[in-house]
Amino acid sequence: MNLALFIPELALVATAVIVILLDLLTEQKRLLAQVSISGLVVAGGVTVAMWGHNFPTIFNNMLAVDNFALFFKMLFLGVAFLVILSSVDYVIKFARFQGEYYALVLLATLGMMLMAATTNLIAIYIAIELTSISLYALVGFLKDAKSTEASLKYLLLGAVASAVLLYGMALIFGFTGKTNLHDIAQSIQALSPPTLFASPALILGIVLLVAGFGFKIAAVPFQMWVPDVYEGAPTPITAYLSVASKAAGFAIILRVFFSAFGQPDWLSQNWGLIFAGLAVISMTLGNIMAIPQSNIKRLLGYSSIAQAGYLMVGLAALGVSPVGDILGQSGVLFFLASYVFTNMGAFIAVIAISGKLNSDLIDDYAGMGKRAPLLALALTLCLISLIGMPPAAGFMAKFYIFSAAVQHDLLWLVVIAVLNSVISAYYYLRVVKVMWLGQAASQEKVPSSAALRLALVLSCLGVLLLGIIPGYMMRLAELAARIFIP
Amino acid sequence: MGSGYLTTILFLPAVGAALIAFALAGRPRLIKWTAAIFTAIPLILAIVLFVQFDRSPEAAGLIQFEEKVLWIAALNANYHLGVDGLSLPLTLLTAFLGFLAVLISWKIDLRVREYFAWLLLLETSILGVFLSLDLLLFFIMWEIEVIPMYFLINIWGSGRKEYSAIKYVVYTLFGSAFMLAGILSIYFTTGSLNMVEIAQGGLAMVQTALPAAAIFWLLLIGFAVKLPVFPLHTWLPDAHTDAPTAVSVMLAGVLIKMGGYGMLRLCVSLFPEVAKGYALLLVILAVVNVLYGAAVTMRQTDFKRLIAYSSISHMGYVLLGIFALGQLSMVGATLQMFSHGLVTGLLFAMVGLVMHNAHERDLRQLGGLARQIPIIAVVFSIAGLASLGLPTTSGFAAEFLVFVGSFSSTIVPGIQVYTILGVLGVVVTAGYILWMLQRAFYGPVLERYNGTPDADILERVYMFAFVAVIMLVGIYPAILTDVIKLGISPIVGLLGG
Amino acid sequence: MLGLEHYLILSAILFSIGLYGVLSKRNAIIILMCIELMLNAVNITLVAFSRYVVPALLTGQVFAIFVIVVAATEAAVGLAIILAIYRGLEDIDVTKINLLKW
Repeated sequence: MNLALFIPELALVATAVIVILLDLLTEQKRLLAQVSISGLVVAGGVTVAMWGHNFPTIFNNMLAVDNFALFFKMLFLGVAFLVILSSVDYVIKFARFQGEYYALVLLATLGMMLMAATTNLIAIYIAIELTSISLYALVGFLKDAKSTEASLKYLLLGAVASAVLLYGMALIFGFTGKTNLHDIAQSIQALSPPTLFASPALILGIVLLVAGFGFKIAAVPFQMWVPDVYEGAPTPITAYLSVASKAAGFAIILRVFFSAFGQPDWLSQNWGLIFAGLAVISMTLGNIMAIPQSNIKRLLGYSSIAQAGYLMVGLAALGVSPVGDILGQSGVLFFLASYVFTNMGAFIAVIAISGKLNSDLIDDYAGMGKRAPLLALALTLCLISLIGMPPAAGFMAKFYIFSAAVQHDLLWLVVIAVLNSVISAYYYLRVVKVMWLGQAASQEKVPSSAALRLALVLSCLGVLLLGIIPGYMMRLAELAARIFIP
Repeated sequence: MGSGYLTTILFLPAVGAALIAFALAGRPRLIKWTAAIFTAIPLILAIVLFVQFDRSPEAAGLIQFEEKVLWIAALNANYHLGVDGLSLPLTLLTAFLGFLAVLISWKIDLRVREYFAWLLLLETSILGVFLSLDLLLFFIMWEIEVIPMYFLINIWGSGRKEYSAIKYVVYTLFGSAFMLAGILSIYFTTGSLNMVEIAQGGLAMVQTALPAAAIFWLLLIGFAVKLPVFPLHTWLPDAHTDAPTAVSVMLAGVLIKMGGYGMLRLCVSLFPEVAKGYALLLVILAVVNVLYGAAVTMRQTDFKRLIAYSSISHMGYVLLGIFALGQLSMVGATLQMFSHGLVTGLLFAMVGLVMHNAHERDLRQLGGLARQIPIIAVVFSIAGLASLGLPTTSGFAAEFLVFVGSFSSTIVPGIQVYTILGVLGVVVTAGYILWMLQRAFYGPVLERYNGTPDADILERVYMFAFVAVIMLVGIYPAILTDVIKLGISPIVGLLGG
Repeated sequence: MLGLEHYLILSAILFSIGLYGVLSKRNAIIILMCIELMLNAVNITLVAFSRYVVPALLTGQVFAIFVIVVAATEAAVGLAIILAIYRGLEDIDVTKINLLKW
């Protein structure tokens, strides 16, 4: 076994420990953020260097070090980088435990990186729990009534989802006798179709897995936690949840469903259609519920449910496409990359604006076009990207993912999805309107720190870059999706 | 002229917009001059382009000034620009109106910086629609236009501007949602995003997956919302009425032409057989458009709303000309788009002047203005007469071609009847235009409008420019029709006529 | 003779009782206990499957041990959060914890 392939993860663990210890020793709390960021940079550098090589799996076939895992690792490290940058000023709100805050962010990142890499049911469970438990604590970090309550709700529902997921895993383990995804696939393929049909254990297992993962990616009907948790959590953590946690959920769905249940065709078509159905209700409900929201974090919460719906269009395409066709997978990967930049950008702008206003109400954003033109412009760009309009990344992402769906006769699904974008334009533009047209309550400028500005600029650059010259990222997504060609 | 020529035309306004937005805060005069310069150069370049355009018969169907760079390898998408006989006149029109819109907006003093930035960005996106030959690029340009319009109507509009702005956005996105589905379907049946290539491949390339008719309709819905075609037209009166003057000019002048252009460029060129099959239905819709539009216009008492509604009727002629599917009728439809852009652009500019100077837009309250503001009255009358199709104006040439072309078209059965019904629309048009002119400018002079200022120098300049071009095209339509024919003839070839 | 089915039925019943409890109980601590019940039901399934499907291996047992460990940490974090709420509200009835729309 080659421990060198585990360096990024080890680096994160080491950084997390160092940050906690350092917190005890130093009064200079900014140092904590700097150390965390340098840890991320080291991990990121090693990850980038590992890209493109065909490394064997490590830890007894537990972890894969393929391009797919590396793609997601880079994504998560990037998100963690942005989250920490945007937390630098936010953490002043916490009187104590800043070290733990950064450490937990790093550990959650570690959990997500493992989620993207695991190929074994046991390891998947542990990776998910590592992520979730860190996030439960982070959600409650503000320690006010709302934040604690959000944390409790997240924990209770998350634990139920884990239990459901575990039950599904147990059934699949019982059906195949294996926990490694490739072994599971082999035992399923070894059975004749009638036996498979007759087996409720496999189907029930898959359905329970969908439910458990559905919670992670916030798909309807497993979305009830989203608005509350998004509203109550510290805003950088909300951003983190909305982006990284969702991406990790998709990473694991892609790997599990493709590796274990990709064959035979009728099986993959069935779960493809399950995802198509979930996509329709997620998009529609997410968008409709977002319309009456008055709190920007809740609005973005519902919007993230709708975005999960668009992403599931890609999963549906991958379910119904024949083996060897990876357009669906690379579509999901590209969409996630663009979604990361877009949603992070939006939340960073929200952190900056709400931090000054001490309010998350959309109406209080009135006149931001005057008070903080650059923040307002950045938020506008990100919202336009969320609608899926050019020249922002969101458009290219939708074009790419929908083109995969159209190719596999899912035109009906695409039509529903694009009509949903029209609904979403209504509430996203309402925020835009308030910012640029509303009368400001005061003329006072809204300042933002250098760290926030840097994070915002990076996100917006990403949004524009992926929107105008998306070729490079599409190529990366394609290379990452190659592992799905048997 | 080397390559990069069209790119220059296309992106100069956008560069101007960026300059205005980020570099010229707090200097309104400089902003206006910058806007004027960054729209004047594209206009000059477009005129040079028009002059240099190869008009020889061999050039029929050829794309000129082509630029093609690989853009997104994964999607086989290119940055692909070019002009042919179809897009050249509309490009010229956009550059012309884009420049005049800046002049028309000279008196804007609310949030000047944002206004001109959005206006220039709008011009780039419209130019992009006409210039791009790649479906993805086309669609992107088509969508970008929505954002500047949303802001322009919302901030600088009047009346129920917020309602109109969001209505405009929702309608446009609704249409383009279907269009996107159509474009994706084309992309996956042909594997290409290149309009020229797909059109030349003909129906042979479009097979399987989805019936061609379905794709045709997906695209058509997008264009029909924009043109607009009854019953998808209800956004138009609101948006036109509530938009600021220069934006109304752009909206009526070129934005809605994107619909007609799209129909010719994509629906008819890519699906000639399907177009033939549904031509009758669309011709009937066109006649409904003409008559319904005209009838509703008759009942308007708001100056600006009246002109807005008249657009619906006039766009009916475009639809009629396109789906009569004859060479002459399609040339006529394209000319009608050009002519309507000028005429209605001028009408909106004039209404804007009257509203600005007399502070009144209710026709029942106006009257006898010819005495107080003679120049505006005369130019307004010229525009009105051009709108109803008086000979020697561009309106006459265009409508005449549409009618003659449709009447003599052999593809749609019973087209003669529909053409004659369409001609009836002209009579109604004459009715409401003359009534409007009579109400506003003639009749007893009203004391309360004494001292209403007439057009100043700047306003006279752009009025003159409008009138000159309207007359030029009216007297010598061949200057355009020669070019348009080159663009239409390959489509006619595809139709087998 | 006891067979695999009996264990599976037992665990299914336990799982359902746990799920019912989560959905119907109001006290946060009882909900947490119901979740533990669900997890233990899963553990029974895992061990039973392991014993009957792959008797030579200990996969299921190992899995169950991991579940127990993780469940303990989850409960620890959960109780900490409940304590934090109790400090603020003096109540752990979830229907009264409703600052946020549930």
